[in-house]
This record gives sequence, C-alpha cells and structure tokens, in this order.
Amino acid sequence: MKEKVQINQFNFRQYAWSQFKKNKQAYFSLWVLGFLALVALLAPIIANDQPLYCNYKGHTLFPAFSFENTYELKMEDGSEEKIQLDIAKWKQMKLESVIWAPVPYAPNKSDFLNADFVAPSGKQYFQDASGQMVDMPSRFRHRLGTNKKGEDVLSGLIHAARISLTIGLIAMGVAAIIGLILGAMAGYFGDHKLSTSFGRFWVFVLGLPFAYYYGFMVRSDALSDAIGTSGGAFLVQLMISLVLVAVILLAASYLGKLIGKLPLLNWKKNIPVDALVLRMIEVLNSIPRLILIISIAAIAKPSILNLMLIIGFTSWTGIARFTRAEFLKIRNLEYIQAGQSLGFTEGRIIFKHALPNGVAPALVAIAFGIASAILIESSLSFLGIGVPPDVVTWGSLINSGRENYSAWWLVIFPGLAISITLAVYTLMGEGLRDATDPKLKT
Amino acid sequence: MLKYIVRRILVFVPTLIAITLLGFVIMISAPGDPVERMVSAAQSGGEIGTQTANQIEQKKFWSRKLGLDLPIFYFSLNTLAHSDTLYRIYDRNERSALSRLTNQYGNWSAISAYFSAIDALNQAHSSLKVDSSMAAGYSLDEVKEDVNKSYFESSALKATYSETVINAKLDALDEIYQAPYMSSFRDKLSVVREKLQAVKETATPWKVYVPVVNFYPQNQYHRWIFGDGNWLTGKGSEFTEGVIRGDFGTSYRTKMPITEVIGIKIFWSFFFTVVSVLMGYLVSIPLGIQAAVHKDSRFDRISSIIVFILYSIPGFFAATVLLMTFANPDVLHWFPASGVEPVQGFGVDAGFFERWSARLPYLILPGISYTYSSFAFLSRTMRVSMLEIVNQDYIRTARAKGLAENAVIYKHMLRNALLPIITVFANIFPVAIGGSVVLEVIFTIPGMGNEVYQAIVNQDYPMVVAVLTITGILTLVGYLVSDVLYAVADPRISYGK
Repeated sequence: MKEKVQINQFNFRQYAWSQFKKNKQAYFSLWVLGFLALVALLAPIIANDQPLYCNYKGHTLFPAFSFENTYELKMEDGSEEKIQLDIAKWKQMKLESVIWAPVPYAPNKSDFLNADFVAPSGKQYFQDASGQMVDMPSRFRHRLGTNKKGEDVLSGLIHAARISLTIGLIAMGVAAIIGLILGAMAGYFGDHKLSTSFGRFWVFVLGLPFAYYYGFMVRSDALSDAIGTSGGAFLVQLMISLVLVAVILLAASYLGKLIGKLPLLNWKKNIPVDALVLRMIEVLNSIPRLILIISIAAIAKPSILNLMLIIGFTSWTGIARFTRAEFLKIRNLEYIQAGQSLGFTEGRIIFKHALPNGVAPALVAIAFGIASAILIESSLSFLGIGVPPDVVTWGSLINSGRENYSAWWLVIFPGLAISITLAVYTLMGEGLRDATDPKLKT
Repeated sequence: MLKYIVRRILVFVPTLIAITLLGFVIMISAPGDPVERMVSAAQSGGEIGTQTANQIEQKKFWSRKLGLDLPIFYFSLNTLAHSDTLYRIYDRNERSALSRLTNQYGNWSAISAYFSAIDALNQAHSSLKVDSSMAAGYSLDEVKEDVNKSYFESSALKATYSETVINAKLDALDEIYQAPYMSSFRDKLSVVREKLQAVKETATPWKVYVPVVNFYPQNQYHRWIFGDGNWLTGKGSEFTEGVIRGDFGTSYRTKMPITEVIGIKIFWSFFFTVVSVLMGYLVSIPLGIQAAVHKDSRFDRISSIIVFILYSIPGFFAATVLLMTFANPDVLHWFPASGVEPVQGFGVDAGFFERWSARLPYLILPGISYTYSSFAFLSRTMRVSMLEIVNQDYIRTARAKGLAENAVIYKHMLRNALLPIITVFANIFPVAIGGSVVLEVIFTIPGMGNEVYQAIVNQDYPMVVAVLTITGILTLVGYLVSDVLYAVADPRISYGK
C-alpha cells in the first residue's frame, strides 16, 4: 500500500483564495452575486401570479409548483370543474386558505386595472372576490409600479435576473471554451513547435471539405426542415452532422498518418498555430463588438439562446490573448519539459498539466467578459434587436420607460439592477486579478 | 523600422480579405429575397400568386443589377447530382424547390425537363384568350376563375418539392381540366406527368453523395470587391465599381449610394466622438495622475470610488436618466429631448455663430453622455498605467538626481503613461463610423449609429455590411498607425527583430 504523503507545500489555489478573501470588496461582491443567483434560481417561487399553496373548495392545490397546466377537480356534488392555471383569475377566486408568492404577479401578464404606468406610490385598484373594485390591499400592491401594459415591474426585474445571469454564464462558457483552447494552443505551440508530415497535413486539410460536405451539405434539407419544426429537433440533427464531421476528420487523420509515412510525403511541415490564432483575434477585434453582434443578431432568428451564442462566439479574443501570454511563459518550465521527456502526448501536457496552471489570467478575463456580455445584452434588448418582443429583460424594461419619461420607476430600478450586476462582476474580476497575480496589484 | 512596416502591411492584406469575407457572408445569409424586395418596392399590387410579364422582367433586371445571377464564390462545393447552373434561376422559391428535388432524385437533366414541362403548361395561360365563345353553357366568371386557379396551381407546382404535395396539385389540376373549355391543357398536363414519371424512373440518388468542385472566375464576391468592369481599372462597369474603388452599392432603404449616405451621416458621429474624447482626456489625465501620485490618499480613494460607480453605470441608462431629468416638462425642461438642431431649421442668412448657438442646447445632453462613457474608461486606464510606472527604476533615478516633483511627473511619467492611450486616438475614425448606436438612438442624432440601427430595423443589409467592412478596414489602419507611433514614442519598443 502506498501511503499518501502529506507535504506541507505552497498551494497556489489556497493562496489565491485567501488573497481573494482578504479583498473585502471582491468577497462582498461574491455574496451579492450569490444572492442574485439565488433570486434568479427561485424566480418562479418569488414572483408568480399563481398561489404557492391554496385550498379551493376542499381541494389542496400547489399551482405554482404544478407541471401541468390544468386541474380537473371533482366537486362534492359530483360535478367537475376545470381550472387552467395560467389564465385562472386566482386573486378573484374564493380560496379558503392561500399562500401567495412574495410578489404575486407574473412578469408578462397584464393587470388591466393598473395599466398605463401606475407609480409605486400611486393609486392602485383591485377587484376582490365579489367583483367589487376596491383600493389595492397592501399585499397585492405593485411595489415598483407597472408599465404601459400593466405588467408588474418588480416581477419583471426578478425574472429578468435569470436572463442576465444565464447570458453571462452561457455566452462566457462558449467564449471560455474557444478562448482557452485556441489561446493554449497558440501559446504552447507557437509558430514552430507543431509539425507533422507533409502528407498527413494535406490529407487532413482535404478532409475538411469532405467533412463539411457529408456533415452539412448532403444533410442541408434535413437540417433546414428541423429548424422549421423545433429547436430540439434541430439540435438532434446538428448532433448527427457534428458526429459525421468528427468521424470523417478522425478517419482523415489516421489515413494521413499512414500516407505520411510514404517517401516524399514524410517531409516535415510546420503549422503556424500562433500566427493563425493571432490573425483570427485581429479580425474579430477590428470590428466594433456591438456593431458586429447586432449585424449577426439581425440576420439570426431573434431568441435569447441565439444571442448568447453570438456573444460567445465573438467574445473569446480577450480570454485567448491572456491564455496565450500565460502559455508562452509556461511552455519553458521544467514540469512541461519533464512531461515531454516522459513521452506524454501534447494533448495531455496542454490540457492536464499546463491548463490548470495557466487558467488564472483567463478567469480574470472571464469575469470582465461576463460584465461586458451582460452590458451588450442589455444594450441590445434596450434597442429591441435580437431579443423576442415578449421576453422581459432589464434592457427592455428601460426601453419601455422611454415612452413616458414620467415613469421613472421603469428606468431607475432596472438600471440599478444592471449597474449593480456590472459592478459586482468588475469587482470580482479585479479581486481575482489581484489574488492571482500580485504583480498587477494596484 | 521600414522592414517592420512592410512586413506589417503584408500581414494586413490577408486580414483585410478575412474582414471582407466576414461581411460578405453576413450579407448573403441575410433573410429575405433582395430581388423580391426591390421589385415589390418598385411596384406593389397585382394578384397574389400571379406574376405579370413586367414583374418577371423586373426581377431579371434586379437580379442582374444586384449581381445575384452570378455564382456566390470563386469555387463551390457541389454534389454530382446538381447542375452548376442552378444559381441562374432568379426566383428563390423555385431555386430551392429544384435543389430539393435534385437532392431527392439526383438526376438533374430529368428534373429540368420536368420543370420545362411545367413552364410550358404555365405559359399556355398567357396565350389563352378568355371570352364567351370558349364554352357554351358556362358563365364567363366561372371560366375565368378556373383559368386563374389553373394558373395559380401550376405556378405553385414550381415551388413544390414534396412528392405527396406534387401529386395533390396534379390531381387538382386534373379536376380543373375536366371542364370542356380547359381541354387544351390536358395534354400539357400529361406531359408534366410523363416527365415526373421519368424523373422517378431514372432516379440516381447516389449522385448526391459524390462531391464536385466547380470554379467560377466571375462571381458575387468578385463583383462585390472589384465591380463588374475590368477588375483592375474599373473601366466598363455597368452597375458597380466594387468595394476596392469605394462603391458599396445602393442602400435598400434610402435608395442612395451608401458612400454618399455615410458622407452625410458621419459628421455628427465624428463631432461627438472627437468632443467626447477631447473632454475625456482633459478631465481624466489630470485625475489619473493625481490619483496615482497620491496613491491611497483620500483623494485617490474617493475619486476611484466615483469613477468606479460611473464605470458600472451603462451609458444608455445614464443618458435615459439625463433625458428624464433635464428634458422632461414635468421635472426640468432645460434642454430639448431629441435631434441636433431646431426642427424648423435656420434662416437662409443665418451665420455660423448663429447656427451653432441655436444648436448648443441640443448638443449638451448628448455631449455629456458621450463624454461620460469615454471618461470613466480613460481615467481607469490612466490611473493603472501611471501606477505601473510610479515604481519603475528610472523614476526613482529621476527623483534621486533631485528633479522637482512636477518635472518627474509631467516629464518622465506622463509621457510613458500616455502610450496605452494613444491607441484610443488611433481608433477614433472607426469609432466615429460605427457611431454610438445606443446613444444616437436615444437622442435621435442623425449620425452613423442611428443609420446602422435604422438599417438593421429595415433589413437594409448592404448598409450594415458596408459599415462593418469600413470600420474593420479603418481599425486595421489604426492599429498600424498606433504601432508605428508607439515605436516612435517609446525607444524601448523595437520591431527590428
């Protein structure tokens, strides 16, 4: 039995974490972010127009937690009553006992009695169970007012937090994957270190159009039909295409390995990975981000997911640059050379040994990147480009306030929400930077 | 140095090509049919589903004018089953139906024979004269309706690719042709059926799985870049001279040449960009210096907090709040809410001073918003780059040799701290072309940002792509210039090796 030897050595991760904790602003930001994430996660419970629990004519119901949209209730007299959860007027029903969500409104359902910009402190009306118009009971007040259509602003704010946070996560997730891989390869291989045989290189390059041809061209009808049916069907078809592409590329790679052993074709061929990646970064950086993103968003179908992907595919350059710089340093360190002399594959060295050590600067870029992704999303939804009109976001709330400048509550609250989120991510980015690279401490 | 610049320009070319390719890809993948759009803009009306001869002529003209009758790129990857002349079909629906049929049956010649049979059937309608002598015992309206229906169905057949739908349409036509006055169409329809049968019998679906590469010296990309005349001199061009000679085509929305539109619109964007950068520099450089020199003083802490707060507040939120407060009749109505000058315009004899004093109230709020966005960014950059220099050896040396503090700061530190900020200035042109989309939309400034927004809302893609390409090119030039300036300003940077 090998005993695990405990060596009291310097652990970078623990050191960085303790440094991060010492930075009060950054640590506080982490808590604020945690709170925002909690709000986003629990949004349907915090703000919902359906009761969390109610007792209706002897039936115990949990409408907010129900996966089905209709209840079929058997009454005592043998009759049956159907309740459609999303259109039932719960507030006017005679409920024996009820627990409402803290904010008893859904984000995009109109309260017609309080439409047309009702202020948080203004006069609000309510229709009680007997159909009488009365003053709003304080339990049901629109605490942050309503917009033109009578939608509750607070509920919109809470549900929009989900969109903002997922935009940050998914867009930057995509960007991080692309940026880390490309940056690591560019920094590790440079222009001269990745070489293969002449034959293998060209077989692989020739394999690319074949992969595209069988993956996408032959299947173009199936793919475009799937887009028309549903997002899920499209994803399935896309996966099939991608698998085909991967299989063909693998086959080309192995075929190339064999062909590359032939005489004349076994000359060494350098692949200038670094130069290629730097050119890609230059092209993307030379076009103003917002203009590039709105141009692509304008031709894509308006949807939040598309927007996230577009932002992700155009925002990886910063991450790639930081990772590349870090890998330029790392590639000459002893442990990499040790790995190479032990005969590890390049993939294993890059992703298993070097990447965990070189990820710190990328984390900083990711934190700042999330802030800018959220800013871009809110600018786009403010302009109404790329976001479906029925989705409530912080940007679209501010935009709805532009119709009527007296409705300050439509501008101030979402604006503050955006500002706080941006500030939190920026502070965390700075905290991470200071914690992981003491030289940069300002 | 010269060697560096030459090498830099050589790298510049492939990047430039990549940018034009990116723009081109966005343009051709835009939804909607530009030919349809131009034709329907030129003349609206006409019965649904029918195309007059005039409309078809128009379509042909526009597809030639926009260059859509050309293949897309220098080479294309295609299937053996497809013809490489498919792009010549100007109608988008017809093209897609043909392509799908080819994917199903894989025999282009039989399919095109089937299509020409449908065409023959379709054209028979125009030679048909509908009058009361055609059929005794039927009302004229009835006859007309049947002819229209038959025309509609046979046109729709050209855009149909699913076998069941095709059969249903053929059966519907059969039923219409039962009437005695439609008898002349019967044999034409039977030809169509025969050809369809031939398509099915001679089907070679395996051909779809064999790739073929075709090359085209004349194509849409080539035409977009070099124009439709001589590619080098531009002589003999009929519709476009090409991007290389500054011809980005016509805006769908305004029907004006795009370069002309940019020439008009760039003024205000440029004006606000320059003003904001200058104002930003004026405030942020001294602020950054003071904060860095007296690091951790109260001034530093308070200014850092304020700058940080400003940095976190998005520009469009700040601008909306400004409008809400200072251009709102209910609160303070100090400034007008939109535009850059009085709506009624100026008198003919209004002088320069008069014009600008009338414009001034319109410019204050946008000016503040523009400056605001650049100010927060510049101060932070300035403070960080000053802080990096404060602890350098040469600063200690300067102090040690007894220089006055001000001389150390303004002579030795400032010059080096300014370097990162040069980049901002090198990018001022591309930034002005792109305009600040959000701010210009909020304040209704007739600048480039607003133009881009309008172009996107109205699906005016040539405009969008032109802005994208021009900003890309100008930014690259900006990078080049700032690299050279860096080398000039900082002797430590050498590009020799």
